[in-house]
Amino acid sequence: MTTTPLTADHLYATGLRGQWHPVVPSSFVAPGAMRKVTVLGEQWLLFRRSDGTLSMLADRCPHRGAPLSLGKHLGDRVACWYHGVEVETDGTVSSVPGLPGCNLEGKQLVVSLPVKEVSGAVLAYFGTEEQPQPVELTLPEPLTDPDTEAILCYAEWNVPWRYAVENLLDPMHGAFLHHDSHTMFDGDTTAKFRIRETDRGYFFEKTDQRGVNFDWVELCRTGVDWVDLSIPYPPSAGPGGPFGIVGMVRPVDAERCAVFFWRYRTVQGWQRDTWRFLYKTLIEKRHWEVLEQDRVMLEAMPADADQRENLYQHDLGVVRLRRLYRGGAEAQATA
Amino acid sequence: MNTDWPYLEIHQSRTHEPSPYELKLAATLEEVFTKVGSELADVVRGLNDRQVHAPDGTPWTEESFTAEMHRLGA
Repeated sequence: MTTTPLTADHLYATGLRGQWHPVVPSSFVAPGAMRKVTVLGEQWLLFRRSDGTLSMLADRCPHRGAPLSLGKHLGDRVACWYHGVEVETDGTVSSVPGLPGCNLEGKQLVVSLPVKEVSGAVLAYFGTEEQPQPVELTLPEPLTDPDTEAILCYAEWNVPWRYAVENLLDPMHGAFLHHDSHTMFDGDTTAKFRIRETDRGYFFEKTDQRGVNFDWVELCRTGVDWVDLSIPYPPSAGPGGPFGIVGMVRPVDAERCAVFFWRYRTVQGWQRDTWRFLYKTLIEKRHWEVLEQDRVMLEAMPADADQRENLYQHDLGVVRLRRLYRGGAEAQATA
Repeated sequence: MNTDWPYLEIHQSRTHEPSPYELKLAATLEEVFTKVGSELADVVRGLNDRQVHAPDGTPWTEESFTAEMHRLGA
């Protein structure tokens, strides 16, 4: 994957390997297009053939290291702008125009990642030396259940990835930061929480309130890390009950992340259509205002925020999360 | 496609700016869901009582409302 030794600090700061990560919405790479993207502190190129087939290549020409993303899309391969070296979608050099027959030709010299497209987003597998082949991926049920309608919202934040995940493992902020929102205006501002372990992660939940505010969250590690949570809708949103969120965070680098929020609801038929209509027309903007409250708060956090804390009982979910990721980073470190 | 960092687009599910008709219909639907009910019959009655009709000016039926939601919500 990379020739640079990975320290535990670097992995903790830029994201764990040995798992799938979301990359961008599928619509960001049109058929016949390319897109440069930074993931886990590394440069990558998404390349889509006109038939829709997607591949993800290290954004680095195997000749002199120029970014392939500055090159030309040739249908089934990319030509580096610098010296015209052509690379196929599996990373094999197909041609060196300046020196035909050169021994680079036919060699797979560019890293190519396994990709999948799920509910409107691209996922890619980032391997480790011990686990170069993709681990099993179990997708979040709300994204695969035909009776559940999910709509993706994607945003990019100047926030370390772990702060964005920690925010999701901290339900109590809903009653304060989002108090003036359309969905989280209700609920007690005091609560007791507990951690409940599951075979794929853990719940962090209120013991004395459910279905009123952002009252519980489940962290799931199923080949990709994601959270599931539920938030009540007001009656104005019509039939279908609360909406849920499947959330994923993509580390960009140590300072930035991209967030993926699928808002989902168990609705079919006219109820589904009506929710989608209201969502597009009125509700999406309100959800966005809530998300912006998170972004503004997290982007304003000092860089040493997690070094000078005084935590209390509501932070157990965050503490558990840090222990999990810190342990993972130490286990994967190669230096 | 805009590739500038950061990507912060409020509307990602829309294909077009809602028309005045769509905005009026959506706002009235929210009022109907809140004040009348959320069964299909409630919704059709609530819209018709408020004189918020289909684009051709006729009162809604369950069939015409369902078809219009399918068109607008797809």
